[in-house]
Amino acid sequence: MNDDILGQIAAAPDQRELQALRVRLLGKKGELTERLKSLGALPPDARRTVGAALHERKRAVEAALEARRAALERAELDARLAAERLDLTLPGERVPAGAHHLLTQVTNRLLDVFTSLGYEVVVGPELEDDRHNFGALNFPPDHPARDTQDTFWTTDGRLLRTHTSPMQVRYMETQRPPFRVVVPGRVFRNEAVDATHEAQFHQLEALVVGERITMADLKGAITEMATALLGAGTRTRLLPTYFPFVEPGAEFAIWWTHPKSGREEWLELGGCGMVHPRVFEAVGYEGVTGFAFGFGIERLAMVSYQVSDIRDLFRGDLRLLEQFRGVA
Amino acid sequence: MRVPYGWLAELVEGLPDADATADLLASLGLGVEAVEEVAGAPAGVRVVAVLEVAPVPGGDALQRVEIDDAGARRTVACAAPNVRPGMRAAYAPPGTRLPGFDGALEVREVGGVRSEGMLCSPRELGVYDHGGGLLHLGADAPVGAALSELWPADRVIELELTANRSDAFSLLGVARDLAAKLGGALRHPAAGLEAVAGDPALDDGLEVRVADATRCPRFTLRRVDGVRVGPSPLWLQRRLALLGLRPRNVVVDVTNLVTFELGQPSHAYDLEALHGGVVEVRRATAGERLVTLNDEELTLDPEDLVIATPDGAGGSRAIGLAGVIGGRGDSVREGTTGVAVEVASFEPIGVRRTGRRHKLVTDARIRFERGVDPALPEAASARVVALLAGLAGGRPHPGMRVAGEAPAAPAAIAFRPSQVAFLMDVAVAPDAQRRMLERLGCVVRLDGPDRWQVTPPSWRVDLGLEVDLVEEVARLHGYEHVGVSVPQLAFVPPPTDPTHRRLRERLVGAGMIETIGYAFTGDDDLARARVPAARVRLAEPQGVERAVLRTSLLPGLLAAARLNRDAPRLALFEVGHVFLDHEEERLGLLWRGHGAASGWRTALDHDAFAAKGALESLAEGLGATLELRTAASPELHPGVAAEVLWDGAPVGRFGRLHPEVAAAWGCGDVVVAELRLPLAARPPRLRELPRQPFAERDLAVVVPLALPYAELRARCAAAAGERLVELFPFDVYQGPQVGEGRKSLALRFRFRHPERALTDAEVDEHMNSVIAALRADGYALRT
Repeated sequence: MNDDILGQIAAAPDQRELQALRVRLLGKKGELTERLKSLGALPPDARRTVGAALHERKRAVEAALEARRAALERAELDARLAAERLDLTLPGERVPAGAHHLLTQVTNRLLDVFTSLGYEVVVGPELEDDRHNFGALNFPPDHPARDTQDTFWTTDGRLLRTHTSPMQVRYMETQRPPFRVVVPGRVFRNEAVDATHEAQFHQLEALVVGERITMADLKGAITEMATALLGAGTRTRLLPTYFPFVEPGAEFAIWWTHPKSGREEWLELGGCGMVHPRVFEAVGYEGVTGFAFGFGIERLAMVSYQVSDIRDLFRGDLRLLEQFRGVA
Repeated sequence: MRVPYGWLAELVEGLPDADATADLLASLGLGVEAVEEVAGAPAGVRVVAVLEVAPVPGGDALQRVEIDDAGARRTVACAAPNVRPGMRAAYAPPGTRLPGFDGALEVREVGGVRSEGMLCSPRELGVYDHGGGLLHLGADAPVGAALSELWPADRVIELELTANRSDAFSLLGVARDLAAKLGGALRHPAAGLEAVAGDPALDDGLEVRVADATRCPRFTLRRVDGVRVGPSPLWLQRRLALLGLRPRNVVVDVTNLVTFELGQPSHAYDLEALHGGVVEVRRATAGERLVTLNDEELTLDPEDLVIATPDGAGGSRAIGLAGVIGGRGDSVREGTTGVAVEVASFEPIGVRRTGRRHKLVTDARIRFERGVDPALPEAASARVVALLAGLAGGRPHPGMRVAGEAPAAPAAIAFRPSQVAFLMDVAVAPDAQRRMLERLGCVVRLDGPDRWQVTPPSWRVDLGLEVDLVEEVARLHGYEHVGVSVPQLAFVPPPTDPTHRRLRERLVGAGMIETIGYAFTGDDDLARARVPAARVRLAEPQGVERAVLRTSLLPGLLAAARLNRDAPRLALFEVGHVFLDHEEERLGLLWRGHGAASGWRTALDHDAFAAKGALESLAEGLGATLELRTAASPELHPGVAAEVLWDGAPVGRFGRLHPEVAAAWGCGDVVVAELRLPLAARPPRLRELPRQPFAERDLAVVVPLALPYAELRARCAAAAGERLVELFPFDVYQGPQVGEGRKSLALRFRFRHPERALTDAEVDEHMNSVIAALRADGYALRT
């Protein structure tokens, strides 16, 4: 019987059967329990010898029950783990990552630089009037400088701004110096469209006005921007040029390594200069100086990320847009 | 403007090589586009004299040409219209390699003529772009000479000039800047011509009548007789070719040369074209016609200024558009012997308007509209006349006609040399500044140590303010010396987000892809998208599809959806301006297909509720509320269309695109939304954490299909009382169990008291109010 019981325990197929065996042997009215209760009726000598054997037997049964319980538990866990196995090489279920437009990413990076330098970000309308786009910026009527601006006029005599500079005028008309502002925005030129020219593109413009702003401050601002974009030790270059709304005027370039050719060269970025006295006159400022600089976002984005056709930026082609999920 | 280096080097003493010169020019603000290598005439080509020309029978224009090749008589076939006995031409013998031709020339039969090589056009020689005739050489080209020695290679610096530097539209102007920078001497091409200066007191039989002295402040006319009109000498042809011009004949070539050399346009009239020797400068009459040198017939405007001559019948006939282009009828041609040379000043704006009106961009207009040195006409006239005398055998008449006053001297500019140090942060001693200004042609008068009067030269019409002079000093000194500093300003920017970065970041985080479309669109696209018709039209659009400004972001998004029609999943947004009665900024959104990107499991549909959920998340993230209120709109599916209430205020539309619109665009079944920006955002405000558990009750109510959930919800919420903290549907059922035209909504209510636990009885009481209200409305309850 001894081996038979232990054999039954060891062969118990599941926890329920095992529990039934436990109750049958060790329950309140279990076989072993009853026999242990009946020990008291035996004479002392017999009680000692029979009792010792019974306790020995009880320990063996308990050990067998525990061993079987543990074995069953382990088998159940193994079965569950096997059943829960997943092929994690299958694709995940996900909402694909979204993406900022490349131009937004480049703009944001620049805005981060300027906001960290204490500039306020301001924006303005794309549909403008002659005064803000030209007149107040010292483009006299019938001046050839207007030819460089290839303007889209509307049939009602307004125009699509040809640069972000009208915002200089709009800001100064309502705010008092000193200030530092940066203006990102869409601009328009009525010129033939090809891989490097679009009728719409984006600019970023900075304007700083105070009592003693100088060309050195301008160079400092451009250098700080270049350093933030390209790292310490970046060189910048100013060359004289003409824009009606600055005097002295300059174009600026950054010394960089072209990402495609690997060559170090000047990247001609944009125009800059000291705010022209006539612009201050137009907005009623006196006794201040200021600098302004601006440049095209597309060009920077295209050379940085090797986009070969500007038109691709405005087509909404997912195959292009998706590639910029990870950038910036 | 193209600046031939060899020519420039003749004008500036000590000019460095072409590349170094280009760098100098860039540092002076004369922007360099490129330094171009220009090939000379090909090796082996010789100057020959044409002896005889005979047509080849049946050979069309083909002619048999006998030439004198340094004493040897040869025969070539030639079809050039300008081949004539006695002319000198460029001859490429067999064995010559010409640019653009494969291999060497061979002796070959052409139309029955055994041709030993060929006579060449400028294009065949690669010296300038004209293939309509032979390169016509003058007497200065010796027969037998190697053309490559007479016409060597050169370098041309191409300048991209800014609108202010009218003075730099000439070799003289460019040379002046370089000489000022280098401190070297300048050789003025018109210096030493006093001997040929004309005397206004002497009668030359010509008469000038200027009717509009404002538009033409100065007009000079010189008579030159005995001119032999023929090809220009080689050096002159070569210079024009390097400038990018086509040599014509010596008279025209001389006026063109002087335009580029001195920056002063001029025009030579055939004396015979001037009726009675009279030249008039007047406004055109309305509808007056003029055929230009380019054979273009213009209809003139009374605002146009013309050069005219009496027509012999009491009237007057236009022979040129002042300061823009000459007329065909008055042109100098072969056979002309007497010319009248016009050198004048024209007011810039008038020239510019006329040029724009007739869409004519000429070398004369480019200069006059920017402002030509008003003191230049006499000197330029002398230069033209001297060249005609020297090159065309002309006999200048000692007399001269001059109309208008000599120009006033430019106004002096008050200048403080200290401003250079202040504005530019460069250290240039006052003495050095003075020398720089004087080298540029300014007259400097010192009224005090920091109080100068600087009179700019007549040719620098761009200098008028102190800052202009600061720039002059700075650019001669070199912008590379400008310091670097960071200004300290008492300015703290307000924390605004005008570019909607937070909004964009949330959308991108939700898996949406940003697009940037065109601000332009076409009337058709607006109509096809059923959005408002255009309010703003472009005067000169780039085609009908870019003729107007968009009134909605929808057409651009639909175009993108069509372009990406093969993409299984699309979630796009654009932030951009639209142009209605006012310009406003908007957020456009478009969803199509599956939300999740795994092909092997059931994926979330980008249906209207998924899209609405995206907007709800957006609102939640910005601390605002979002509601949709059913409202039809022409572009939307009538059953899936709503007005968007953001924080309670209407901001735009949301819905499924109308199937007809979707079909018209081929963009597939899409859900779209367009919202006005900025969308209200609220900073988070911390509420006290609830300390009590909520009590939950469910209730199913059967209502008509048409009843919006929002209405039912409002009714329940009102009845449930103030302890209700949450109410949401957890099942919506339509089907046989609730009957036709009805739906069952299972609602979950959660109640909470802020301070204590609610009793079951209290919760039941709230629910009973809800039940009573719904029953009163006639709705059945399912339990």
